[in-house]
Amino acid sequence: MHLLFLSCYKATELMEKRFHLNLSRKEKIQLRLHKMMCTACANYEKESILIEKGISKMGNSPMSTSEVEALKKKISDKLDQYHAS
Amino acid sequence: MQKEQLKKWVNDFTDELYQWAFYKTSSAITAEDLIQETFLAAAEKLQSFKGNSAPKTWLFSILNHKIIDYYRKKNSQPILINDNLFSNFFEEDGDWKKGKRPQNWFEEEQQLLDDEDFQKVLQECMSALPEIWNHCLQLKYLSEKKGAEICQELDLSTTNFWQIVHRAKLQVRNCVEGNWYQNN
Repeated sequence: MHLLFLSCYKATELMEKRFHLNLSRKEKIQLRLHKMMCTACANYEKESILIEKGISKMGNSPMSTSEVEALKKKISDKLDQYHAS
Repeated sequence: MQKEQLKKWVNDFTDELYQWAFYKTSSAITAEDLIQETFLAAAEKLQSFKGNSAPKTWLFSILNHKIIDYYRKKNSQPILINDNLFSNFFEEDGDWKKGKRPQNWFEEEQQLLDDEDFQKVLQECMSALPEIWNHCLQLKYLSEKKGAEICQELDLSTTNFWQIVHRAKLQVRNCVEGNWYQNN
């Protein structure tokens, strides 16, 4: 394979890497070229970003107010024990 | 005096700390345990808390360490990566397999993110992942830490971490696309 061309497998891996680290100049160019030529990977990137956002948004407390109060009480009691010991 | 201060924090921050712990561990029991441990650790360390950061920030940093410890213990087994997974998505030369090419989702990003049904599909697809992959996806969002730091704490090599997240993402994306567009 040509120096500048990536496989779809490699391209999607680089997209993942970019969420955490800076890509090298060569990697950036490779990725940009690949996305210009490959609709599937361009879609993948958009959807991957959307999934990231979706995950970071997920999850609400399943606890009711009374349960929260019960947990507070439990912790306070434990702290009393701790301070008494 | 210190005791009273701690109790005030218990009252003020338990709710938020719990929400965070639950979101990170997906387990009510684990989340409760972690919050209790957090406050006990806070009681022990209170002397050294100089008030350089807000109490809430301090408590969250203790909790985040507890969460990382929890995952570290759980994942102390070496991670096995199933190489078959890639052949589900890619040909040997690295091209997408027919039928696995990501399609255009068309809807606006914000519209999808606000859609409760879409959120549900995403959640189901996350929980269908092998546990370790789910953890790695979740850990990416733990505090402000970068992925690389987190992998070090979990004793994973960096390469390993990418591979896991990459695999998890391929799987989740494919699952969401399948479920969302079948039902709509």
